Amino acid sequence: MVAAVASDHAVRGSTLTLREVSHRFNFEGQPLPVLDRISLQVGRGEFVALLGPSGCGKSTLLRLVAGLDTPTAGSLLTEGREIEAPDPSRVVVFQDPTLYPWRTVWSNVALGLEARGLLRTHRGRIEDALRLVGLTGFANAYPHQLSGGMAQRAALARALVNDPKLLILDEPLGQLDSLTRIAMQAELVALWQRSSFTALLVTHDVEEALLLAGRVIVLSDRPARIKAEVINSQPYPRHRGDPHFVELRREVFEHLGLDEAW
Amino acid sequence: MAAAWLVVAALTAFWPDKPESDWTYTGSFAIACAVLAVALALATFAGGRFVAFQRLQRLSPWLFALALFFAAWEAVTAKRGLLPLPFFPPPQAILEVAIDDWGRLAEGIFASARLLASGYFIGAAVGFVTGVAIGWSRLAGYWIHPVLRFIGPLPATAWLPLAFFVFPSSFSASIFLIALATGFPVTVLTWSGVACVKSAYYDIARTLGATQRFLVLKVAIPAAMPHVFVGLFMGLGNSFAVLVVAEMLGVKAGLGWYLQWAQGWAAYANMYAALLVMALLCSGLITLLFRLRDRLLSWQKGLVRW
Repeated sequence: MVAAVASDHAVRGSTLTLREVSHRFNFEGQPLPVLDRISLQVGRGEFVALLGPSGCGKSTLLRLVAGLDTPTAGSLLTEGREIEAPDPSRVVVFQDPTLYPWRTVWSNVALGLEARGLLRTHRGRIEDALRLVGLTGFANAYPHQLSGGMAQRAALARALVNDPKLLILDEPLGQLDSLTRIAMQAELVALWQRSSFTALLVTHDVEEALLLAGRVIVLSDRPARIKAEVINSQPYPRHRGDPHFVELRREVFEHLGLDEAW
Repeated sequence: MAAAWLVVAALTAFWPDKPESDWTYTGSFAIACAVLAVALALATFAGGRFVAFQRLQRLSPWLFALALFFAAWEAVTAKRGLLPLPFFPPPQAILEVAIDDWGRLAEGIFASARLLASGYFIGAAVGFVTGVAIGWSRLAGYWIHPVLRFIGPLPATAWLPLAFFVFPSSFSASIFLIALATGFPVTVLTWSGVACVKSAYYDIARTLGATQRFLVLKVAIPAAMPHVFVGLFMGLGNSFAVLVVAEMLGVKAGLGWYLQWAQGWAAYANMYAALLVMALLCSGLITLLFRLRDRLLSWQKGLVRW
């Protein structure tokens, strides 16, 4: 079963390579280094989590991967080609759902198809995406009528409708209440298993990283460097109380320098 | 409510007008009030089931107050002559104007509407496009912004003397002035609307493969629409002011001109009638604009109802 899923991923997900990526911001005239020589190799269909303290530069890294910004030094490649601009094969789900308030859920999800002129031919995908995230009955609702969890599901559908090869998740569950969050974590894993994309998740929640990802990259404080890499090869669904899971969690906390505090 | 209007009718009909008066429509005014009274009474007895009647019920304090106002007006002008004539004509004199001079009034309405519509639409369209350009393009901002800052705050009426000899006709000059008065707020508000769009909206669209054209037409403009409507609203108010001034000073037609003309003949009843028509039209147009906004921006929470 696991092997079958893996081979399916191999067909559709894309690879991602980061080579010595560094990035600096200009903050009040001073250069502010955010990323420090990050190198990373992500295989097809892999689920990788980037874990680090708040403000360490994780989201900056995702913006670089998405092609929204270009790095100060180093290079990012997908499928062996340099990332120079945003591309619909790499879709970002941000922490804030950022649905367009003037569009219904349906037309928010349709955004990517509309932008690329595929709406007429691929209309049916919108319904599919809405069904996938459990929002079938809400196609005509406006964003202000949705709860936080529903809005985030809509944002997820908006990403999935483009059939991404790389899904970039920027703390997508960060603003949800803990119950919704647990449910959505399970759904994310199910979606990933079914839709077979490569997933790159940024989070500061250790449990979330370990529950979802096969590999957890622990980042340092700003400027972010890779501190450690923790592999979790447990099958899904994973359980928080599982002894191996608890052991992995302890290990990650240690890497974050929090072993005594917790 | 109906009784109050009946009182107005009786008062008008049976209390004789003050001596040496020549109002021929006193009876007609009384009849009009009586008809309104009967209609209100009928509505009260028969209309309980209809939605329209429920709305009428909400209006009843106002209808009552209006009846009091008309009764007082009638008493102090036509009956006792407490207010000096010709500055304060009685209601029947205004009714007389509405009935006898409606042709000229209608002409005025038509002329004003044509002028206002031409100027407003040109101004709104140019203002909108300019606003989007400044908000979107750095180059457009660099060149247009200083001009806007320098010329925008100048009241459009200040251009009046210049406009009337530069333009071939006073009509085209007035269109220019109205367009100017409308364009400035529309430009500024559209610009600020476009500039205020959250950058996350653009990020989302860009990662989904949007072109520049898509970003402007499908992201920037819809996101800016609430601001644009504020601009359209302010522009409409400005355009009324300029319209009336332009008609008074240059164009020989329209309600503004009618006002001026009536004043010249000391025909104050005509002036009041024209003012009333103007108030109705301006208020009607603003209501129309708000209806349009409510329809287009139904996605917004907490809209102010006009």
